[in-house]
This record gives sequence, C-alpha cells and structure tokens, in this order.
Amino acid sequence: MIALPGAYLTMQINWIVFGLLIPLLMVPAIGQDKPPEKKIANPFDKDKAAVETGRVQFNSGCAVCHGPTGQGGRGSRLADIERVRKMPDARMFEIIKEGVVGTQMPPSPLTDNEIWQLISFVRSLNLSAVEQDVPGDVAAGETQFFTQGQCSGCHMINGRGGLLGPDLSNIGARRSVDKLRKSIENPDALIEPGYSSVEAVTLDGRRILGAAKNNSNYSIQIMDAQGKFHFLLKRELKSLTHHKNSLMPAPSLSENQKQNLLAFLSRRSLETAAERDRRIEHGKEIEP
Amino acid sequence: MKKVSFFRTGSSGLLSWLSFRRSTARYFLIVLLLLALPLQAEVAFQDLLKLPAENWLSYSGDLTARRHSLLKQINTANAGNLVPQWVYHVKESKRLQGTPLVVDGVMYVSHTNEVYALDARTGREIWHYRHAQAKRHDGNRGVAVLGERVFFVSSDAHLLALHSKTGALLWDKEYGGHEQNSQISATLAPLAINGKVIVGVTGGDCGIRGFVDAYDAITGKQLWRFYTIPGPGEPGYETWGGHPVGISGGGTWMTGTYDASQNLLFWTVGNPGPDFYGESRPGDNLYSDSVVALDADTGKLKWHYQFTPHDTHDWDAQEFPVLIDATFQGKPRKLLVQANRNGFFYVLDRTDGKVLLAKPFVKKMTWARGILPNGRPDVIPDMDPTPAGRVACPGIKGASNWFSPSYNPETGLFYVITIEQCDIYTTSARPYKKGECYDGTGAEAIPAEPGQFFLRAIDIQTGDIRWEIPMVVKDTMDPWPGTVSTAGGLVFFGDNEGYLSAADARTGKVLWHFNTGQLITASPMTYSVNGKQYVALASATDVFCFGLFEPMRPEATLKEHYEGGGTKQGN
Repeated sequence: MIALPGAYLTMQINWIVFGLLIPLLMVPAIGQDKPPEKKIANPFDKDKAAVETGRVQFNSGCAVCHGPTGQGGRGSRLADIERVRKMPDARMFEIIKEGVVGTQMPPSPLTDNEIWQLISFVRSLNLSAVEQDVPGDVAAGETQFFTQGQCSGCHMINGRGGLLGPDLSNIGARRSVDKLRKSIENPDALIEPGYSSVEAVTLDGRRILGAAKNNSNYSIQIMDAQGKFHFLLKRELKSLTHHKNSLMPAPSLSENQKQNLLAFLSRRSLETAAERDRRIEHGKEIEP
Repeated sequence: MKKVSFFRTGSSGLLSWLSFRRSTARYFLIVLLLLALPLQAEVAFQDLLKLPAENWLSYSGDLTARRHSLLKQINTANAGNLVPQWVYHVKESKRLQGTPLVVDGVMYVSHTNEVYALDARTGREIWHYRHAQAKRHDGNRGVAVLGERVFFVSSDAHLLALHSKTGALLWDKEYGGHEQNSQISATLAPLAINGKVIVGVTGGDCGIRGFVDAYDAITGKQLWRFYTIPGPGEPGYETWGGHPVGISGGGTWMTGTYDASQNLLFWTVGNPGPDFYGESRPGDNLYSDSVVALDADTGKLKWHYQFTPHDTHDWDAQEFPVLIDATFQGKPRKLLVQANRNGFFYVLDRTDGKVLLAKPFVKKMTWARGILPNGRPDVIPDMDPTPAGRVACPGIKGASNWFSPSYNPETGLFYVITIEQCDIYTTSARPYKKGECYDGTGAEAIPAEPGQFFLRAIDIQTGDIRWEIPMVVKDTMDPWPGTVSTAGGLVFFGDNEGYLSAADARTGKVLWHFNTGQLITASPMTYSVNGKQYVALASATDVFCFGLFEPMRPEATLKEHYEGGGTKQGN
C-alpha cells in the first residue's frame, strides 16, 4: 500500500525525463545514421598563434562565466573535461555561434574565423596526455608499472593487473598530463567515481571494506579486496563510513621514475590518433 | 588519516602475485586471496548447460534456447500481484534488443557498442563500458559470460572481452572485415561454450559472405571459421549458378544453440543476396535460410537443413533453433524445433537433420503447399516477386522472426509470437555496387491489409495450435516482442502495443499486464536475488524490473560517517 504509489511515481518521473531527452536524442541520432558528407573541422587546429588569439577573445567574452582558465563558474567548466574533449568541432562551433537556448550563453558576435580561433584555445585547455609530447622512457615506465612500482596490483592495463583501482588502458586519452602527474604524486587529490573507500557494518555485524561502486539514499554497492560484490540496502546497515583518502598509497618514486611512468601512462589510449581526429571532425558527441 | 592498508597489497591477478613474490608475508596473503577468488562470481561452462533458475547466464537462459526458467515463486496463483521494482534508463537507447544476463545478483545489459553492469536488485549501476571507437552504430542483442569475462560484439564486428567486475577491456579482436567491406556489422549476443566464444556477422542484405567464427575465450585467438556460402570446389558451390561467393549473403546475425551431448553447434543462416532477385543465382543457394550443425571443436559441417531453398522473400532462418529432448512419435529423441519465418513449424532430428514434422503455424501462407517427405517444400509456382509487385505470404517480417520463443517441458508447448501478414514483393535486376546494399528491390505492406500479431502455443508433437492470444490492434510500428516460460506455469510475452503480459502456460488466460509506454523490442527474462524472483525486460529505452508486491517498510535511520566532513543522516 505504501510502495505502490511510490513505485508508480518513479515510473512517471522516468517518463518525464524520457520526454525531455527526446529532443536531445534527435541530434546525435541524425548524425549517427548519416554522417555529414562534408567534413567540418577547425581550419586552425592546434596553430599556436590561433590559440593565443583565441585566448584573448576568451578573456574578453567568455572568462566572465567560464573562468579565465576555463575551470567554470557561473558557466560550465571547459578545461580538462571529457565532455568538451570529445565534442566534435562542428558542435562546438554551433554552440558558440548560436548560444544555448534557455541559458545565459548568448549567440556570439564573433566572425567564423574568430570562433575557430576560440575553439583552438578551448581545445588547448583539453589536451589529453596522449596528444602531448611527454618525455621519459616508456619501456622503463612499463616495467615500473608492472613490477617494482606495484601499480598493477590494483590497476589493469589491457587485461593485465588488479581490479581495485580504475582500469588505465585508456587513461592517456582521458586525462591531461598535469592531472596524471597529480594523481601519481597525490592519489587523494582526485578519486575516480566508483573507487572511493567505504566501510560498512551490517545489522548482523559483518564488516565490509571496499570501493563504493555506487551509492544512493537507499542502497550502496561495494566491491571488496577479493573482488567480491556486496550489494547492500541502507536499511540492512548499522553504520557506514566513507573514507576520505584514496585506497592508493602515494608511491615513493624518484623524479626520473615518475617521468618514465608518466611517459608510459600518457600513451595508454584505446583510440588511435586517426580515429580521434575522425570523431572530432565528423563524429557523434559522446558523453564520458 | 588512517589508510586501509589491506588494499595496498593488491588482490588479484597473477601479475600482482608475481610482483609481490619477494615478500613472504605478502606472498602468503596473496595466495590466500587467490584461493578465495574462485568462489567469486565465476561462470563455469557446466553452469551454462543448466536450465536457468537464480541466474540467467546466456541470451536464452541456457544453450538450448528453450528459455524456460525453473523459478516458480511467481506463478499462476500470484502473477496478478506483480509490480514494478525499478527502471534503469539506458542513455541514448531507442530500441534495446538484448536479453539481460544475471550472474549472482549482477545484471549485464548491452546497448549499441556498450555494456552496463547493474545491481539486479536495485537497478543501480556498477560499471559501464563504451567502445567509443566503433565505426558503426547498429543495435546490439546482448552479452555472453564465461569465467570472469563478459563478451560482446561492437557494431563494426569486433569481439570484445571485458572483466565482469570492472568492465575493463581485456582484449579486442577485429573479426568481421569491416575495414574491407563497410556493410559488415555485428549485432548478435555471442555464444560462450567450453573455453570458446562463437560469433557471427550481420549484413546479408548488403553483399557480404556470412560466416560463423570461434575464438579462444582466454586469448581471443581465432580457432576456426565456417563460411555459410561455399567457395569454388566446396560442396554446395554448385547451388549458386556461379554467383560471386563474396556477395551472396548468408548472414549469421543471431545466436545459435549448442548440444553438449554431441558437441554440436546449431547456427541459423540468413537470406541469399540479392534478397528479392533470384535470377542471378539459380539453384538452392546453400546454406542460405538453413540451420547448419557444426562440430564445436573444428567448425566442420556435420549436417544442414535448408528451410527455404532459393529464397526470394528475405526469409532468413534466424528464428531460434530450440533444442528439446523428448519422446517424439513414440521414441526418445534429440529434437531441434523452429518456427520459421517462412511460416512452417519444424521438428527435426538434430542428430541428422531429418524432418520429423513440418506444419504451417500461420493461416496466411501462399508459397508452399507443405513440406514433402524428403524435407523439401512443395513449392507453389509463380510466387516469386515481380517487377510490378506480387502479393505473397508470410510478409517480409515473417511468420515469426528473431525474437525469442520458449518451450515449457511440462506443458509440451512451444510459445511463439506470430505475425499473420501478406506483403507485396517487388523485384529488379540490380548489379552489385560496393558499399551499397544488394537487395534487388523490396517488400511493402498492402495498405488495407495490416498484419496481426498473436501469441501462439504450439504442441510440438503435432504442430497444432493449442491456444492463441490475438493482439487486437493491427498495423502498429515495428515491435519485436519475445517470450519467456517459467516453472510457475507462466509465459511472459510482449505485444505490439507496449504491454508486457503474463499468461497461464496451459490455457493462455492472461493473468497480468503492464503498459511500458513504449514499443516492446526484445524478449523478457527472469532471475532471483536473495530468494526474491524478478522478471526483467530491456526494451526500447529502459530496463524494466518486476517482482511480487511487498509493502515497503519505513527506512531505518543510518548515520553515514564521512571522514573529515560530518555525517549524513539517513532519512
């Protein structure tokens, strides 16, 4: 009697959300069925002068909402973020040119070329590690990762390694070099969703320690050190502690070892450069 | 802050073990952990052979495609008490076509180039893998599991192995030849058997040469390939009149079945190409529209049976080849049962492919008078498509299609969604053009004569229809609703109006229905977690989960402690 209306309400909310999504779904769907014949790509690409011109434009019109380094404020974050990194050029151009209806993002008065320069700058804020020239001995970094560095005890790359930490097969395409370095130096600074440490005690006294794969008001899904899942309803718990720190210890590495590891990790990408370029030029917008 | 040092030792994988081998204490701990690992949700080959109960381990529940669950908590006495438990919205999906798998409380759901792992009790997401680099975006019909691996195909015909705990990509095997022919794609749920993963390809309407492939489940190494279109010098090549092998079709776009007692795979083969223009390919066109029985170790053909020789109506044989062991015509037999797109219900002896029974399961049937004792159809002349268009039945969707039938061993009934429809079939000579489809024109509905959907219960002993549930609304969009049977005496089925329903498996009386509010584009399944049975359907844009109504208790008060940042009081 109590559950019934609640359950139906959930269903209804779902329909409403679905209804709102339909217009959003239309755009990628069209692109997906018939890729545009003509390639729409930024003519300035990574041109250094264009990036600098774009930076000036950004500071005079965009920084007010998005922040001078694109970290986001009143407007959304634009720097070092998957959503922007994977957005095709044509889509980014359209957003700047037309603005975003229903938000404070106005249509831009800039010329097409100026918009492309602005895009060159925004792209420069989102260079993934694999797109950057990262010095270091890749082979030595690989050895470090799989043996003395003990990284593969918890992290997997292309099927080799442990389960407790995030899979790193594609990390070079997902992170900037700065963020990668930060994660190595200070693992607590950035904990990937699904990998934060929790400790649950059930009503019958079982203590479960592990990574929270998902957490909501009514249930929590934990993977323990053996890789075993514990899917728990909150009502079955006596206590739940969310640890602040990462499960990963800060490795003690020399600067040289760190650089080698960084060089190795920066090159972990499941997408080739050609595939990336094709996606940016033609492709479908992909959420992380 | 205190760290949980337990985790730092690493926990799984031979590599972590090797990396710590110098430390005796860690060595000991790791060995203990490794010993504990096989207790975790590993799916053994033997598990895949059992009729499904708590777990649902393959597309059809087991490898025979009977799609019959042993669960009976939900039964004819209480089916009316089913209520929604949760809904999981699959972002960007429109026509989900897979069957979710459930392994020890974890549900795996696939969508175009992606896989989700969910908590099967609450619908909360555990992990998500997206194959962003795929070069096509076709539908996907699901995953296979074996050991701690989840297998699925990308739309551009790669076979991918993911770790079942994290969704980490273990290997990625390009197998279809999409780079050479962009019309090659993949949509099927792979079939995992003993140490192997079996896949096929989609694209038989568009100038490909179909095949069935086997890969090593651990390494991804190719073990064998069976081409569905024989090459020069091979038996069956003579049935094509010299039509080019590479563009003759014979897609293998649905999951096959497996008989462990014979170590045989039964894989169904799609239409010959061009679909509607037969003059360029005189002959039977083997092994199009056939079921092929393949040795699972070698891929060698043991026998084949062709349902529709020289097809000109796009009647792919992709309906499930269901494996049933039963007394038939007075003798215990190994049977293969199929309700084919061409309108006939077939019972074959699966040791040799001989037809034991073949009977129409639709009334609208114009192409054959029956099936002759030698297994060939008694074809009615002049039913091929013409340039001006000719009416033939069944229609292009077929009397049935890929959506799942089910078989209840207790009732002896085979439950299948059936379409009574005729269409106008049109033909024209069309030269093959690379990168384009190779169809030889097409088929369309007769404006004033929309098709009608039925759920039919067929007695496998006689081919008679014991009962049927007609769907009253005709001429709806393209639903693909399937079925699942349970030991609770129920058959769950989708219809063409968006309802998931449950009927009494013996009488066809409808006991429960739920309006999903969208098209049904897949087949339901059932599983249980912690003793509670659920029925799930991944259809259109969402995964729906149902269970028997239980009054919800008030939430307990739980203090959640956040290190370095206060507490959150549970509501």
